[in-house]
Amino acid sequence: NSPAPLPERAIYGFALFLGSWFGFMLYLIWAYVPETWLFSLGLTYWPQKYWAVALPTYLLVTIGIGYILLFGINMMSTAPLNSTHTVTDNYAKKQQQKKFQEEAIPALRDIPISEVNRMFFLPEK
Amino acid sequence: EERGYRSASGAPITLRRRQHSASCRELTVRCPRLQLRSLSAVTSAVWLAAYGLFVLSENSMVLSAAIFITLVGLIVYLHFVKIDQESLLVIGSLGIQVTSSYASGKESTTFIEMGQVKDVVINEAIYMQKVIYYLCILLQDPGDPQGVSEVVPLFQSSKPRLDCLIEVYKSCQEILEQRKTTPQSS
Repeated sequence: NSPAPLPERAIYGFALFLGSWFGFMLYLIWAYVPETWLFSLGLTYWPQKYWAVALPTYLLVTIGIGYILLFGINMMSTAPLNSTHTVTDNYAKKQQQKKFQEEAIPALRDIPISEVNRMFFLPEK
Repeated sequence: EERGYRSASGAPITLRRRQHSASCRELTVRCPRLQLRSLSAVTSAVWLAAYGLFVLSENSMVLSAAIFITLVGLIVYLHFVKIDQESLLVIGSLGIQVTSSYASGKESTTFIEMGQVKDVVINEAIYMQKVIYYLCILLQDPGDPQGVSEVVPLFQSSKPRLDCLIEVYKSCQEILEQRKTTPQSS
Protein backbone atom coordinates (compact mmCIF):
# COMPACT_ATOMS: atom_id res chain seq x y z
CA ASN A 1 0.00 0.00 0.00
CA SER A 2 2.77 2.42 -0.82
CA PRO A 3 2.04 5.79 -2.41
CA ALA A 4 4.55 5.13 -5.22
CA PRO A 5 3.46 5.91 -8.80
CA LEU A 6 2.04 2.95 -10.72
CA PRO A 7 0.79 2.76 -14.31
CA GLU A 8 -2.78 2.07 -13.17
CA ARG A 9 -2.70 5.14 -10.95
CA ALA A 10 -1.46 7.26 -13.82
CA ILE A 11 -4.35 6.07 -15.98
CA TYR A 12 -6.91 6.74 -13.21
CA GLY A 13 -5.44 10.17 -12.67
CA PHE A 14 -5.60 11.09 -16.33
CA ALA A 15 -9.15 9.78 -16.66
CA LEU A 16 -10.23 11.85 -13.68
CA PHE A 17 -8.46 14.89 -15.10
CA LEU A 18 -10.24 14.59 -18.47
CA GLY A 19 -13.54 13.84 -16.78
CA SER A 20 -13.36 16.86 -14.52
CA TRP A 21 -12.40 19.16 -17.42
CA PHE A 22 -15.32 17.83 -19.44
CA GLY A 23 -17.69 18.30 -16.52
CA PHE A 24 -16.49 21.85 -15.97
CA MET A 25 -16.86 22.76 -19.68
CA LEU A 26 -20.35 21.26 -19.70
CA TYR A 27 -21.29 23.30 -16.63
CA LEU A 28 -19.98 26.51 -18.24
CA ILE A 29 -21.84 25.85 -21.47
CA TRP A 30 -25.08 25.10 -19.63
CA ALA A 31 -24.74 28.22 -17.45
CA TYR A 32 -23.79 30.76 -20.13
CA VAL A 33 -25.19 29.68 -23.49
CA PRO A 34 -28.70 31.17 -23.96
CA GLU A 35 -31.57 28.70 -23.96
CA THR A 36 -32.67 29.49 -27.48
CA TRP A 37 -29.33 28.41 -28.94
CA LEU A 38 -29.49 25.13 -26.99
CA PHE A 39 -33.07 24.56 -28.11
CA SER A 40 -32.09 25.17 -31.75
CA LEU A 41 -29.49 22.41 -31.41
CA GLY A 42 -32.24 20.06 -30.21
CA LEU A 43 -31.01 19.84 -26.57
CA THR A 44 -34.15 20.75 -24.64
CA TYR A 45 -34.06 18.68 -21.45
CA TRP A 46 -31.77 20.71 -19.17
CA PRO A 47 -32.34 21.70 -15.54
CA GLN A 48 -33.33 25.28 -14.88
CA LYS A 49 -30.47 27.78 -15.06
CA TYR A 50 -31.40 28.90 -11.57
CA TRP A 51 -29.47 25.89 -10.32
CA ALA A 52 -26.24 27.05 -12.01
CA VAL A 53 -26.05 29.74 -9.33
CA ALA A 54 -27.95 28.01 -6.53
CA LEU A 55 -25.86 24.85 -6.25
CA PRO A 56 -22.46 26.58 -5.76
CA THR A 57 -24.06 28.91 -3.23
CA TYR A 58 -25.53 26.00 -1.32
CA LEU A 59 -22.13 24.29 -1.33
CA LEU A 60 -20.26 27.32 0.02
CA VAL A 61 -22.81 27.97 2.77
CA THR A 62 -22.65 24.28 3.76
CA ILE A 63 -18.86 24.46 4.03
CA GLY A 64 -19.09 27.57 6.19
CA ILE A 65 -21.71 26.04 8.48
CA GLY A 66 -19.69 22.84 8.58
CA TYR A 67 -16.81 24.61 10.32
CA ILE A 68 -19.11 25.86 13.06
CA LEU A 69 -20.97 22.54 13.26
CA LEU A 70 -17.75 20.57 13.69
CA PHE A 71 -16.65 22.92 16.47
CA GLY A 72 -20.00 22.47 18.20
CA ILE A 73 -20.00 18.69 17.83
CA ASN A 74 -16.53 18.59 19.36
CA MET A 75 -17.64 20.64 22.32
CA MET A 76 -20.73 18.51 22.83
CA SER A 77 -18.85 15.23 22.81
CA THR A 78 -16.17 16.13 25.37
CA ALA A 79 -17.00 14.39 28.59
CA PRO A 80 -18.41 16.69 31.30
CA LEU A 81 -16.36 17.19 34.44
CA ASN A 82 -18.51 14.86 36.53
CA SER A 83 -18.39 11.79 34.29
CA THR A 84 -16.30 8.71 34.98
CA HIS A 85 -14.97 8.83 31.43
CA THR A 86 -12.40 11.40 32.58
CA VAL A 87 -10.93 8.81 34.94
CA THR A 88 -11.33 5.40 33.34
CA ASP A 89 -12.90 3.55 30.43
CA ASN A 90 -13.95 0.06 29.37
CA TYR A 91 -10.47 -1.08 28.41
CA ALA A 92 -8.98 0.01 31.71
CA LYS A 93 -11.71 -1.71 33.70
CA LYS A 94 -11.20 -5.03 31.95
CA GLN A 95 -7.40 -5.07 31.91
CA GLN A 96 -5.60 -8.09 33.30
CA GLN A 97 -2.81 -7.81 35.80
CA LYS A 98 0.39 -9.46 34.67
CA LYS A 99 2.63 -10.97 37.30
CA PHE A 100 5.66 -8.99 38.34
CA GLN A 101 8.92 -10.51 36.98
CA GLU A 102 12.30 -9.74 38.48
CA GLU A 103 14.57 -7.49 36.41
CA ALA A 104 12.02 -7.17 33.60
CA ILE A 105 10.33 -3.98 32.47
CA PRO A 106 6.87 -3.94 34.05
CA ALA A 107 4.00 -4.59 31.63
CA LEU A 108 2.14 -1.62 30.25
CA ARG A 109 -1.09 -0.97 32.11
CA ASP A 110 -3.46 1.81 33.09
CA ILE A 111 -2.36 3.14 36.47
CA PRO A 112 -5.29 4.17 38.72
CA ILE A 113 -5.64 7.87 39.27
CA SER A 114 -5.19 7.63 43.05
CA GLU A 115 -1.73 6.14 42.59
CA VAL A 116 -0.77 8.77 40.00
CA ASN A 117 -1.88 11.55 42.33
CA ARG A 118 0.07 10.16 45.25
CA MET A 119 3.19 9.94 43.12
CA PHE A 120 2.85 13.47 41.74
CA PHE A 121 1.61 15.50 44.63
CA LEU A 122 2.43 13.86 47.95
CA PRO A 123 6.23 13.45 48.32
CA GLU A 124 7.81 16.60 49.62
CA LYS A 125 11.38 15.77 48.74
CA GLU B 1 -4.67 30.41 58.17
CA GLU B 2 -5.48 32.18 54.94
CA ARG B 3 -3.49 32.51 51.73
CA GLY B 4 -4.09 34.11 48.35
CA TYR B 5 -4.07 32.20 45.07
CA ARG B 6 -5.40 32.63 41.53
CA SER B 7 -8.27 30.90 39.83
CA ALA B 8 -8.04 29.26 36.42
CA SER B 9 -9.25 32.46 34.75
CA GLY B 10 -6.81 34.70 36.64
CA ALA B 11 -9.15 36.12 39.28
CA PRO B 12 -7.71 36.34 42.83
CA ILE B 13 -9.14 33.83 45.31
CA THR B 14 -8.23 33.00 48.91
CA LEU B 15 -7.95 29.62 50.60
CA ARG B 16 -8.56 29.37 54.33
CA ARG B 17 -7.60 26.25 56.25
CA ARG B 18 -8.93 25.50 59.70
CA GLN B 19 -8.16 22.44 61.71
CA HIS B 20 -10.94 21.70 64.17
CA SER B 21 -9.40 18.52 65.55
CA ALA B 22 -6.95 15.81 64.61
CA SER B 23 -9.37 14.21 62.18
CA CYS B 24 -11.49 17.18 61.11
CA ARG B 25 -10.45 19.93 58.70
CA GLU B 26 -12.30 22.68 56.94
CA LEU B 27 -11.00 24.24 53.70
CA THR B 28 -12.76 27.31 52.34
CA VAL B 29 -12.16 28.95 48.98
CA ARG B 30 -13.51 32.48 48.68
CA CYS B 31 -14.27 33.79 45.20
CA PRO B 32 -13.82 37.41 44.15
CA ARG B 33 -16.77 39.65 44.96
CA LEU B 34 -19.07 41.12 42.35
CA GLN B 35 -17.17 44.07 40.91
CA LEU B 36 -18.84 47.46 40.76
CA ARG B 37 -17.40 48.17 37.33
CA SER B 38 -18.84 45.02 35.74
CA LEU B 39 -22.21 45.62 37.39
CA SER B 40 -22.36 49.21 36.13
CA ALA B 41 -21.15 48.15 32.68
CA VAL B 42 -23.94 45.57 32.31
CA THR B 43 -26.56 47.96 33.69
CA SER B 44 -25.52 50.77 31.36
CA ALA B 45 -25.48 48.43 28.37
CA VAL B 46 -29.00 47.16 29.11
CA TRP B 47 -30.33 50.69 29.72
CA LEU B 48 -28.69 52.08 26.58
CA ALA B 49 -30.23 49.27 24.52
CA ALA B 50 -33.62 49.98 26.11
CA TYR B 51 -33.27 53.68 25.39
CA GLY B 52 -32.40 52.88 21.78
CA LEU B 53 -35.55 50.75 21.55
CA PHE B 54 -37.57 53.56 23.13
CA VAL B 55 -36.31 56.05 20.58
CA LEU B 56 -37.27 53.67 17.77
CA SER B 57 -40.64 52.62 19.10
CA GLU B 58 -41.82 55.71 21.09
CA ASN B 59 -43.20 53.36 23.74
CA SER B 60 -42.28 54.31 27.29
CA MET B 61 -43.08 50.83 28.60
CA VAL B 62 -39.70 49.75 27.20
CA LEU B 63 -37.87 51.90 29.76
CA SER B 64 -39.81 50.64 32.77
CA ALA B 65 -39.49 47.07 31.48
CA ALA B 66 -35.71 47.54 31.24
CA ILE B 67 -35.48 48.78 34.82
CA PHE B 68 -37.61 45.88 36.05
CA ILE B 69 -35.54 43.35 34.08
CA THR B 70 -32.31 44.80 35.48
CA LEU B 71 -33.53 44.56 39.07
CA VAL B 72 -34.97 41.05 38.73
CA GLY B 73 -31.91 39.88 36.80
CA LEU B 74 -29.57 41.17 39.50
CA ILE B 75 -31.53 39.45 42.26
CA VAL B 76 -31.71 36.17 40.33
CA TYR B 77 -27.98 36.36 39.56
CA LEU B 78 -27.03 36.96 43.19
CA HIS B 79 -29.28 34.24 44.48
CA PHE B 80 -28.74 31.47 41.95
CA VAL B 81 -25.51 32.10 40.07
CA LYS B 82 -22.92 34.12 41.98
CA ILE B 83 -21.10 31.92 44.45
CA ASP B 84 -19.33 33.70 47.27
CA GLN B 85 -17.40 30.86 48.84
CA GLU B 86 -17.14 27.11 48.58
CA SER B 87 -16.02 25.04 51.52
CA LEU B 88 -14.99 21.46 52.10
CA LEU B 89 -15.35 19.94 55.56
CA VAL B 90 -13.58 16.59 55.96
CA ILE B 91 -14.45 14.65 59.11
CA GLY B 92 -12.25 11.58 59.42
CA SER B 93 -14.65 8.82 60.35
CA LEU B 94 -17.89 10.43 59.27
CA GLY B 95 -17.75 11.88 55.79
CA ILE B 96 -17.17 14.89 53.60
CA GLN B 97 -19.47 17.92 53.45
CA VAL B 98 -19.40 20.33 50.51
CA THR B 99 -21.04 23.74 51.00
CA SER B 100 -21.53 26.49 48.44
CA SER B 101 -22.76 29.82 49.71
CA TYR B 102 -24.20 32.28 47.24
CA ALA B 103 -23.87 36.06 47.28
CA SER B 104 -27.43 36.49 48.58
CA GLY B 105 -26.66 34.33 51.62
CA LYS B 106 -28.16 31.08 50.36
CA GLU B 107 -26.16 27.99 51.21
CA SER B 108 -26.44 24.64 49.50
CA THR B 109 -24.85 21.64 51.18
CA THR B 110 -24.03 18.11 50.10
CA PHE B 111 -22.85 15.42 52.47
CA ILE B 112 -21.11 12.26 51.36
CA GLU B 113 -20.52 9.59 53.97
CA MET B 114 -17.07 8.08 54.34
CA GLY B 115 -18.15 4.61 53.28
CA GLN B 116 -18.97 5.89 49.82
CA VAL B 117 -15.78 7.90 49.37
CA LYS B 118 -13.08 6.04 47.49
CA ASP B 119 -10.57 8.87 47.20
CA VAL B 120 -10.12 12.60 46.70
CA VAL B 121 -7.96 13.23 43.65
CA ILE B 122 -6.83 16.01 41.34
CA ASN B 123 -8.07 15.21 37.86
CA GLU B 124 -7.36 16.93 34.56
CA ALA B 125 -10.10 17.37 31.99
CA ILE B 126 -10.93 19.37 28.92
CA TYR B 127 -13.23 22.28 29.75
CA MET B 128 -14.22 24.81 27.07
CA GLN B 129 -11.05 24.71 24.91
CA LYS B 130 -8.79 24.52 27.99
CA VAL B 131 -7.39 21.70 30.05
CA ILE B 132 -7.94 22.43 33.73
CA TYR B 133 -7.03 20.71 36.97
CA TYR B 134 -9.91 20.21 39.34
CA LEU B 135 -10.35 18.43 42.63
CA CYS B 136 -12.94 15.69 42.71
CA ILE B 137 -14.27 13.01 45.05
CA LEU B 138 -14.35 9.51 43.60
CA LEU B 139 -17.31 7.53 44.90
CA GLN B 140 -16.98 3.82 45.48
CA ASP B 141 -18.83 1.36 43.29
CA PRO B 142 -20.65 -0.99 45.70
CA GLY B 143 -20.19 -4.03 43.47
CA ASP B 144 -16.57 -3.52 42.48
CA PRO B 145 -13.92 -2.50 45.02
CA GLN B 146 -11.64 -1.11 42.34
CA GLY B 147 -14.29 0.67 40.35
CA VAL B 148 -15.47 4.25 40.45
CA SER B 149 -19.21 4.75 40.31
CA GLU B 150 -19.34 8.52 40.26
CA VAL B 151 -17.10 11.57 40.10
CA VAL B 152 -18.10 14.64 42.15
CA PRO B 153 -16.18 17.74 41.06
CA LEU B 154 -15.42 20.29 43.79
CA PHE B 155 -14.82 24.05 43.68
CA GLN B 156 -16.66 24.35 40.39
CA SER B 157 -17.15 28.08 40.29
CA SER B 158 -13.92 29.25 41.86
CA LYS B 159 -11.74 26.83 39.87
CA PRO B 160 -8.48 27.18 41.77
CA ARG B 161 -5.17 26.54 40.04
CA LEU B 162 -2.86 23.64 40.71
CA ASP B 163 -0.91 25.19 43.60
CA CYS B 164 -4.07 25.77 45.61
CA LEU B 165 -5.41 22.34 44.67
CA ILE B 166 -2.22 20.64 45.86
CA GLU B 167 -2.62 22.24 49.31
CA VAL B 168 -6.23 21.07 49.55
CA TYR B 169 -5.25 17.62 48.28
CA LYS B 170 -2.51 17.19 50.87
CA SER B 171 -4.85 18.25 53.69
CA CYS B 172 -7.53 15.81 52.56
CA GLN B 173 -5.09 12.93 52.10
CA GLU B 174 -3.74 13.35 55.64
CA ILE B 175 -7.22 12.70 56.96
CA LEU B 176 -8.12 9.99 54.46
CA GLU B 177 -4.99 8.04 55.31
CA GLN B 178 -6.16 7.76 58.89
CA ARG B 179 -9.08 5.59 57.91
CA LYS B 180 -6.69 3.02 56.41
CA THR B 181 -4.51 2.82 59.52
CA THR B 182 -7.43 2.63 61.95
CA PRO B 183 -10.03 0.40 60.32
CA GLN B 184 -13.32 0.42 62.21
CA SER B 185 -15.88 -2.31 62.16
CA SER B 186 -19.13 -0.87 60.86
